[in-house]
Amino acid sequence: MMSITYPHFGSLTYLFEIFLNELGRYDIVKPKNPSRKTAIIGSRHSPEFICTPFKIVLGTFMESIEAGAYELVMGGFQAHCRFGYYWPVLKMILEDLGYDFRFIILDQTNPVEFLRVLKNDVSDNLKLFQILKTLRIVWNKFCCIELVDKLLSRYRAVEFDKGSSELVAEKAFKLIVEEKGIRNIKDLKKKLPGLFEKEVSKDTKVNPLKVAIIGEIYVVLEPSLNLEIHKRLNELGVIVDTPVSLRNYVDFEGIFNPFKKSHKQITLRKAKHYLEHSCGGDAQASIGDTILYKEKDWDGMVHLYPFTCMPEIISKSILPQISKEHNMPVISLTIDEQTGEAGFQTRLEAFVDLLERKKESNCK
Amino acid sequence: MVVKLTMKVGIPRALLFYKFFPMWTTFFRELGVKVIVSPNTTKQIKTESVKHAPDEDCYSTKLYFGHVMAIKDEVDYLFIPRFGSSHKTNVSCPKFIGLAEVLQSMFPDLPPIIMPFYSTAKSGHGKRRLIYLIFSIGFKFTKNPFRIIKAARRAYKEQKVHYENLILDEKTLHKWEQTEYLLNNFLSPEEGERPIKIALVGHSYVLNDDFASLNIQQILKEHGVDYITSEQLPRSLVEKQMDKLDYNLYFDYEREILGTIMHFIERKSIDGIIHLIIFSCGPDSITGEMAARYAQRDPSVPLLQLTFDELTSETGLETRIEAFLDLSRRRKK
Repeated sequence: MMSITYPHFGSLTYLFEIFLNELGRYDIVKPKNPSRKTAIIGSRHSPEFICTPFKIVLGTFMESIEAGAYELVMGGFQAHCRFGYYWPVLKMILEDLGYDFRFIILDQTNPVEFLRVLKNDVSDNLKLFQILKTLRIVWNKFCCIELVDKLLSRYRAVEFDKGSSELVAEKAFKLIVEEKGIRNIKDLKKKLPGLFEKEVSKDTKVNPLKVAIIGEIYVVLEPSLNLEIHKRLNELGVIVDTPVSLRNYVDFEGIFNPFKKSHKQITLRKAKHYLEHSCGGDAQASIGDTILYKEKDWDGMVHLYPFTCMPEIISKSILPQISKEHNMPVISLTIDEQTGEAGFQTRLEAFVDLLERKKESNCK
Repeated sequence: MVVKLTMKVGIPRALLFYKFFPMWTTFFRELGVKVIVSPNTTKQIKTESVKHAPDEDCYSTKLYFGHVMAIKDEVDYLFIPRFGSSHKTNVSCPKFIGLAEVLQSMFPDLPPIIMPFYSTAKSGHGKRRLIYLIFSIGFKFTKNPFRIIKAARRAYKEQKVHYENLILDEKTLHKWEQTEYLLNNFLSPEEGERPIKIALVGHSYVLNDDFASLNIQQILKEHGVDYITSEQLPRSLVEKQMDKLDYNLYFDYEREILGTIMHFIERKSIDGIIHLIIFSCGPDSITGEMAARYAQRDPSVPLLQLTFDELTSETGLETRIEAFLDLSRRRKK
């Protein structure tokens, strides 16, 4: 078998690694953290006004192929979004550049095909029940990874020793990757909050602001593309949460538990008055989450989307109305590979200042 | 029958209007409603568009805002359908779905918007949904259900006639490709010279909007070029090309565009292809790249890709077209 690789996707990169390991693949070329250079070589060969994630994915794949990867794993679907076209265009571009590779497409719209590809192309002919077992383990580990992300962006805002919560998070990720057995993983998930509570010394005096980040999933979850916005906000002393998650696309809990209402269903109901029908991406979720977080009494929203993203431009145009009607500050930021660090930081600082002043005037 | 024209419904002349105008205008007219279609795009409309539209929308969507602004004061209702798709699995641009609600949200003082939602791919809408929409719109203007049915029938028929007139059958297309037969009879070619044949490919709302496309059809006519547009190509040929791909091109109107380009690249029967791209159009960024790469791999038919936005100048465009036509003429010899 040839070595396999996948796009870099924030902390979900750990998940992809776990997934392949569980399927019996250890010949992985780990994707490098996308750097400025990745963005440059990616955008050099990309179409003119394609959305930014495409450029990063192209750059990452080129780097991985040069590092010896042959099989490229990617997702695909059919919706009002360009993501499903990524692999055909990537394939043409990489072919024209003269690379030798093979694409493996995991199309989530068709579960039967999804399992077939996992069985025949990714793994070495595992039995179907083994694959289903793998999916269960991966799902549980995914929940753990998501929890660590959530805890990290909460504790980093109030930590005493700078960098201590990141060390804990790194340790937690390592534990998650190495943990075996479904029961142990479930136990680990319960232990994670305690781990953070014990090892991070908290500054208990401050009453931090709370800001949620919404928008297009890749930009929100990939720190090298969004200039580590979670960390930046944390350093300004703001607790950050993001409702954007892979769950909005694949939700096993929602499928197997008819009594539990998924986050997606709740947000869609909230958004219905403003944007009734799904128009791809996270457009409806962005609108619904803004209302939801206002009800939870959060202080503000940061809306991120890649340049020329089609669905998010729709939600960006509607968000001012919601901001006005619900009295919820929202800042929309376009991200692409050209986004400058200094300008970005200034705008975030200004936004946080505004929120602080608003909170003070509310207290009086 | 004398109909008292009271209610006025405004339809902006942009985006999907160019595809479905026979159906929409006939339906409302038959209901006894006065239909006000915004005028052809002018410079003033463009200025309004750029002022009002979100800055990251594509040029065509921006123009839609200008057209709405042009008619909003004289109408009782605006008709802005939210169109998902009419195909079983393939979808169309998300802007078509979000547009009505974006307008409502950005400009709360607009007249009430009639925004029927129809999507076969994602919501599984079919005939029943269509009948429901027809009646729910119809009862706004008349109480007579028979009149609504009649209006819908006529509208459907008009649309069908429009397609029949527009789309060529395979025989005519074949004849045009292979022989001296001309589709457009405005030509007066010089003696002994066969006019060059070109395929003009793009969205219907770019091809037919003379302002947005900077009169490209007129320019081609003046140069004595016999052209066919991607709208005219038979759907069966498009689907045949699409079947050859190893992936599914799921944006429905892009299939028409890429299918036309691939068809002529394969047949090598014409002298050139001109592809009109709208700036920052999402689907076009994909098909544009694919078309360019297919043309590069099989360079027997030259392909010219032109990107339009509100700043494109007419002179620059004309020079490029002239150069391209010269190239095609020389290759023909």
